Amino acid sequence: MCDFKKIRIMKNTEEIIEQLKKIVKPYVKDQDAFDQLTETTDFINDLKINSANLVDVILDIEEIFDIVIDNESMERMLDVKSTLLIIETKLAEK
Amino acid sequence: MIGNDIVDLAVAEVESNWRRKGYLDKIFTMKEQLLISKACNPEIMVWMLWSRKEACYKIFNRQTHIRIFNPIQFECSEMVFENKAFFGTVQFKEKVYYTKTEINEEVVYSVAVFMKSDFSKIKELRKPKMLLKIDGIPNRYDVKLDVLMPVSISHHGRFIRIISI
Repeated sequence: MCDFKKIRIMKNTEEIIEQLKKIVKPYVKDQDAFDQLTETTDFINDLKINSANLVDVILDIEEIFDIVIDNESMERMLDVKSTLLIIETKLAEK
Repeated sequence: MIGNDIVDLAVAEVESNWRRKGYLDKIFTMKEQLLISKACNPEIMVWMLWSRKEACYKIFNRQTHIRIFNPIQFECSEMVFENKAFFGTVQFKEKVYYTKTEINEEVVYSVAVFMKSDFSKIKELRKPKMLLKIDGIPNRYDVKLDVLMPVSISHHGRFIRIISI
């Protein structure tokens, strides 16, 4: 039996990356790094996002994915890979 | 152990909307939010607290080589005004850091130390030479002493400050 509800809610990783790219775009200071974004891309070191804007990225993620990011999760949200993992985990918990 | 952080107020005004719903709750404790709401100029207080947290995080990062994004855990004390600067402490878990913050119409600038006596040893580097990053953490090679000395670099908008001891 398929769990239809789950299928509808769950997004695949590629979809999440696409949404994440839209979210970070306005705060990015290094366009080349953004164009070459992969899972290992670091928000601060590679995209040169100002740390005060990292708060905006996290608030945008909460709004768009309709999830709550606790401090413990936020602590690790410095790169695409850990952010994806946190979004996927929070979506699965819904 | 040192750290610094500069905020270009003109850039912050354009790029950061700290009045956005949920923004302050993510980075400031209730006590800190009270300091902001009581302040004559809440905007300046936001960036004073923020730069103190950032400067202390740079020391934490140097001490542990751990990278985290958890500004709320760096809790700022109230500040005391003395000799044209605001002094205070910032606590992260069991660690206590000392901060000195200066403000003018254009910038908010904080310097943090782990040992209070280091405040008097801090010097600004205008043209730094022999800078060497280890794990992304800057140092300078002191030729005379043949040792690596800590360096902290902060760049925001129109301003850059590089310090060492």
